[in-house]
Amino acid sequence: MSKKRDIAIIGIGVTKFGELFDQSYDDLVRDAALQATKDAGIGMDEIQAGWLSTAFPEIGVFKGRSGMDLVEPLNLYGIPVTRVSNFCASGADAIRNAANALAAGECNVAMALGVEKLRDRSPQDSIVKMMVELSHPYFQKGFTAAGTFAIYAKRIMHEYGLTKEDIANVSVKNHYHGTLNEKAHHRKTCSLEQVLGSPMVADPLTVMDSCPTTDGAACVIMVRSEDVDMAKHNPINIDGIGLSVSTGWDLPFFDPKHDFLSFQATKDAAAMAYKQAGIEKPIDEIDLVEVHDCFSIVELLTYEDLGLCKPGEAKDMIRGKATQLGGEIPVNVSGGLLSCGHPVGATGVRMVVEVVNHLRGSAGDRQVLGAKKGVTHNIGGPGAIASVIVLNSEN
Amino acid sequence: MSFIKKYNIYFPQYVIAENVLHPKGRKNNHSVAYVDEDLITLAYSASCEIGKEVDAVLFATTTPVFKERYHASYLADLLGLPEGITALDLGTSNRAGTDVLLLADTLICSGKHENVLVVASDISFPAIGKEARTPFGHGAVAMIVSKDEGLAEITNIATYSAAMAEEFTYKGEKVKYDARFARTAGFKNNMKKVFASLSPNGIDSLVINSAFVKLILGNLKKAGFDMEKQLAPDRFIPQCGYLGTAHGLLRLVNAIENVPGNSVLVDYNNGSNVITIKVIKKAAPKMSGLNHKTSIACYQDYLTLRKQGKFEGRGYESIEIFSSEMIQEREKNQLLRLKGFECKACGTIYYLKSARCNNCKGIEFREKQLSKTGTVYSLTCEHYFPSSFPPTNMIVIDLDGGGRITVQQTDDMYQNENTKISIGDKVKLVLRKMMENDKKPNYFWKCVKL
Repeated sequence: MSKKRDIAIIGIGVTKFGELFDQSYDDLVRDAALQATKDAGIGMDEIQAGWLSTAFPEIGVFKGRSGMDLVEPLNLYGIPVTRVSNFCASGADAIRNAANALAAGECNVAMALGVEKLRDRSPQDSIVKMMVELSHPYFQKGFTAAGTFAIYAKRIMHEYGLTKEDIANVSVKNHYHGTLNEKAHHRKTCSLEQVLGSPMVADPLTVMDSCPTTDGAACVIMVRSEDVDMAKHNPINIDGIGLSVSTGWDLPFFDPKHDFLSFQATKDAAAMAYKQAGIEKPIDEIDLVEVHDCFSIVELLTYEDLGLCKPGEAKDMIRGKATQLGGEIPVNVSGGLLSCGHPVGATGVRMVVEVVNHLRGSAGDRQVLGAKKGVTHNIGGPGAIASVIVLNSEN
Repeated sequence: MSFIKKYNIYFPQYVIAENVLHPKGRKNNHSVAYVDEDLITLAYSASCEIGKEVDAVLFATTTPVFKERYHASYLADLLGLPEGITALDLGTSNRAGTDVLLLADTLICSGKHENVLVVASDISFPAIGKEARTPFGHGAVAMIVSKDEGLAEITNIATYSAAMAEEFTYKGEKVKYDARFARTAGFKNNMKKVFASLSPNGIDSLVINSAFVKLILGNLKKAGFDMEKQLAPDRFIPQCGYLGTAHGLLRLVNAIENVPGNSVLVDYNNGSNVITIKVIKKAAPKMSGLNHKTSIACYQDYLTLRKQGKFEGRGYESIEIFSSEMIQEREKNQLLRLKGFECKACGTIYYLKSARCNNCKGIEFREKQLSKTGTVYSLTCEHYFPSSFPPTNMIVIDLDGGGRITVQQTDDMYQNENTKISIGDKVKLVLRKMMENDKKPNYFWKCVKL
């Protein structure tokens, strides 16, 4: 899609992210949705269509299998609601679907809500179990989620001279940012030595290079830009949404053309979103970026794939602190997935909520000063599906 | 008349010294299968390079992994041999290795078959705590017996049954008869029958595959055998242990490699098979692999290979994974026989099937046999994947001649110079059990460093 949709976000809500043992899936849905409708200044009954993003009902509590699990906790019966599932891009895809329905005129006020309740199970019971027991009986057996990204790290280190320290410094930076975010799962700084010295998960990625297993939900309320009531709303425009499935679940590990140096999906999604938003020089035009740092290596790849630097130069950006709060282009000032955690279906929506806060100037201690344009990015599946959303505070 | 046309031997990578099994143990080594090996993978490893154009598969083992299922037909399927081929199992006694050789010779001499794959494969362990004085060992020997001239001619085969057995298993328990009585009524009595038809003249090597051979040394001398020159010692017991059904064939291979002329193998176990061969061509030795094995460092590692116990993060782990006989049957050409797909337009070779080429979008593919060797493109070391000897190394391999595959490393119980893999290293694919899934057999490729 190359056409801009002219959609605005008028309401945002995000729960505390963490091991929310005292809250259920339904509690998280209610919390995020009520915050968002309150922020938009509308009643629940004004929502005309909904998109629910939960990536892994089967490894959580079997909630989020359909739109029903959004409707039931909100008493939002009688409207179309669809569950969206697209691995780690699920949340962004819920927003994309809502934007498309608004643009098509199917509804006038849409809700996109992402939620994942992973910690009603033990962490080893969830994603590792999925890789071991559920997928194709032969392919990728031996990988955990971390390993499927570590394999990129090893090749990039070999090709570009990236070091373990460069990778670990992403974690150091994002954990510092996380201390400034009251909603983050982890709010502690860490040193380079702590990251490198934490237990190895998949060489070269350590525990501190990996996002935690987290519960959380986030919600946005969206309308067509023409319907925004400027007296009532504080809207942020969606300038571009790109989503691309650029390889498969198994294919990267069996495709002789796959170089393990970049994510084609990110490049494709960014090209779509940038074209819609009219962005030509991302590094000059974008003020902040939320990228999918499920494992710290992914943030470094994404600098290059989003066009913030040339291939092989990500190491220079992290070494030069260009992506730290106060730097040339702050990345993951929320603390990223490394600090906030990664309730998979919620993450993409949380990032949009984060950027909206910065573009409104309401991000508190971690505010990127003067931010007018921000980008969110997700990658999943692993490396197959990416989404890029460009948000803009100016018309 | 039949010939031994080709043969191959497979020993697992690991050996354990008897003094690791027991403080008073000797320096003898026992060959021990890795945790992801079973007698099917041993048999496959021994036969995959030679068992391509055969019209029958005969399988010998006393340690079956299946009951009510033929190992021979399973192996034939893994080898990609045609459905409906003659595939038979023989077992019960450790003499079964030469039983199948005898049967192969009979099938060929009768004109029913032309090339028969004979495989003997065993993985047996003594009772825990009784390993030190039991010469157990694991391995497989494969031979192609053919009507066409080969390395050695089988000039005579005879079999002499005996009702008496010195020791055997009854209802799961070892039974040992009174030793002196049983050896007289069993081995010695049987040997009288064997030697009634053997003369020392014209025999270059006499191989008696029995632990009781010392009981008849006097008789052999009397019969005129030159003990130094003609009687072949069993040099394998100290090196790898007693390989069960494979041991008789192993000793026959040793004769083919080392003794020009005529050799007689007397394979004794509850009766004897007597196989006389005449070596025609000198064979390239395959025994050298025995000298380069990895020693198991401790009894706990050995117990893990026996699928016993958990020790500080290491130890046997049986994991039930999703296993589908439908997928395995549908995709076996690809999954188990490494048949890939070559794009007819641009020549890119894939292991995974696709509707369109990922390089040129071409839609036509031809089947392509992929190579078992390749170069490491990338890798990682997974510390949280459940396995008996974590971490699990995952290796992305560009296969020689095209195609990419990503598999686990195996035979990597110890992370050291011999197992450390880096980008650019050469590796080889080997067929192993995918995981220690105790519910269904689940074989797939893994890799070892070359």
